[in-house]
Amino acid sequence: MQGPLIDSLARQGVTRRTFMKYCATLASMMALPPAAGRAMAEAMAAAPAATKRPSVIWLPFQECTGCTESITRSHSPTLEGLIFDAISLDYQETLMAAAGHQAEEALHAAMKENDGKYLLIVDGSIPLGLDGAYSCIAGKSNLETLKEVAKGAFAIVAMGSCAAFGGIPKANPNPTGAVSVSDIIKDKPIINIPGCPPIPVVMTGVLAHFLTFGSLPEMDNKGRPKAFYGETIHDRCYRRPFYDQGKFAKTFDDEGARNGWCLFELGCKGPVTYNACATVKWNGGTSWPVESGHGCLGCSEPDFWDAGGFYKALSMPADPLKFVSTAAVVGAVAGVAVSFANRGKKGAAKSAHETTTLADLEK
Amino acid sequence: MPLDAIPVVVINTSENSLAADSGLSGNAPVLLREIAALAQRLLASDESSAIDLRALPLTPADLDWLRETLGQGQVVATLDAEGESTLSETVCPGVWWVTHHNEQGAVASEFIEVTYVPELLKAHPDDVKIGLEHLELLISDLS
Repeated sequence: MQGPLIDSLARQGVTRRTFMKYCATLASMMALPPAAGRAMAEAMAAAPAATKRPSVIWLPFQECTGCTESITRSHSPTLEGLIFDAISLDYQETLMAAAGHQAEEALHAAMKENDGKYLLIVDGSIPLGLDGAYSCIAGKSNLETLKEVAKGAFAIVAMGSCAAFGGIPKANPNPTGAVSVSDIIKDKPIINIPGCPPIPVVMTGVLAHFLTFGSLPEMDNKGRPKAFYGETIHDRCYRRPFYDQGKFAKTFDDEGARNGWCLFELGCKGPVTYNACATVKWNGGTSWPVESGHGCLGCSEPDFWDAGGFYKALSMPADPLKFVSTAAVVGAVAGVAVSFANRGKKGAAKSAHETTTLADLEK
Repeated sequence: MPLDAIPVVVINTSENSLAADSGLSGNAPVLLREIAALAQRLLASDESSAIDLRALPLTPADLDWLRETLGQGQVVATLDAEGESTLSETVCPGVWWVTHHNEQGAVASEFIEVTYVPELLKAHPDDVKIGLEHLELLISDLS
């Protein structure tokens, strides 16, 4: 196992064994067989060293910066951080030193210099209501900016549930007419990395794949990388055996909960949520929601916010009496998304707005 | 048909060795058979293999049970690489318990490797060459 990457890592004080360990762990996270770790190490080490670090442009739209928080927090000073150094992050409003005109200049310079070759990362949804006036940067609506920057991109990474599926801004009644990247851009490869926020290592995994093979990884029918989103939380949950045995916690403080039994009846969305939390975990591998005793919210699935209550078991109907009217509103919202703001629908959206009561939380 | 004729046997799990409240799922003991099969493969064809413990539905108690059952052999190696890694042979020679920690000390990945020597422990020829150069430097300093 030798090659430019190993040499460049060696110069940064990363030994071959550290690299092999990293690859073994990455293979485990990607749900690949253990032998794949070595194969991956060899492929990555042998990858030709790029003469120039690939340019990455990161555009923030209707978002909360949680995705950026997630990625930056857990990276430095790990090896993922070093691999992150292998890219040239030319525009990222939160992280870049430049501001105002200088920042916009950096964006346009990067676009011009790397035309057709840069990787575009988007976090946040794109509001279509009021001609996009709900979210503007440098006097341009997010819609305009996205179309302009996407034109010269090699591929687009829709980072987080908002960019991938519309996320929380798109939640009923979707006041801004928020849509996902793939609702607007149709002529570029788009990879969705949903999650609220997404797992940091999933991002680096995709970047590592891009750097190594110069292409995007294999994706599922929702545009998510199969390596991380190939199985449900439930399939790889350490509490799964208790589900199989019919052992369920009935409340958050009963004996079943103390024994670590399955949280299905407390509303866990693990069985319908495709993500890698069960294996990769959070906060540097410390724990993850189910391990800390709370069911999965399903934050990486489309429309998770409107999925019928975080504490309602999946087998329970969300709200059968309201289902018809909700479906009509969802249809109306989709209409708003496609045909920009339609004021006639505004009243309908307003009347459909539901507030959460204490009784809902207690289900 | 009398109810007794139906062959249903009730096993009280609390008397079972895998007690219900202990957090054991019953998934760990079957792994011993898989490890045995991998050890047979190592002997028959010199083929090393590994089990990714993170990829299996094992509770923390299952892992503790497995670790305790396999026991501690004579060799323990630690690797200091972006967090500590331990490679320790179990009482069954050739069966290694490999734990990779991250820099924060949390377990990043965990494997059972069935091999004569884990790949990670072997020095790479390129690294040996660098070591040799260093040795030659040391020798030249002597004169």
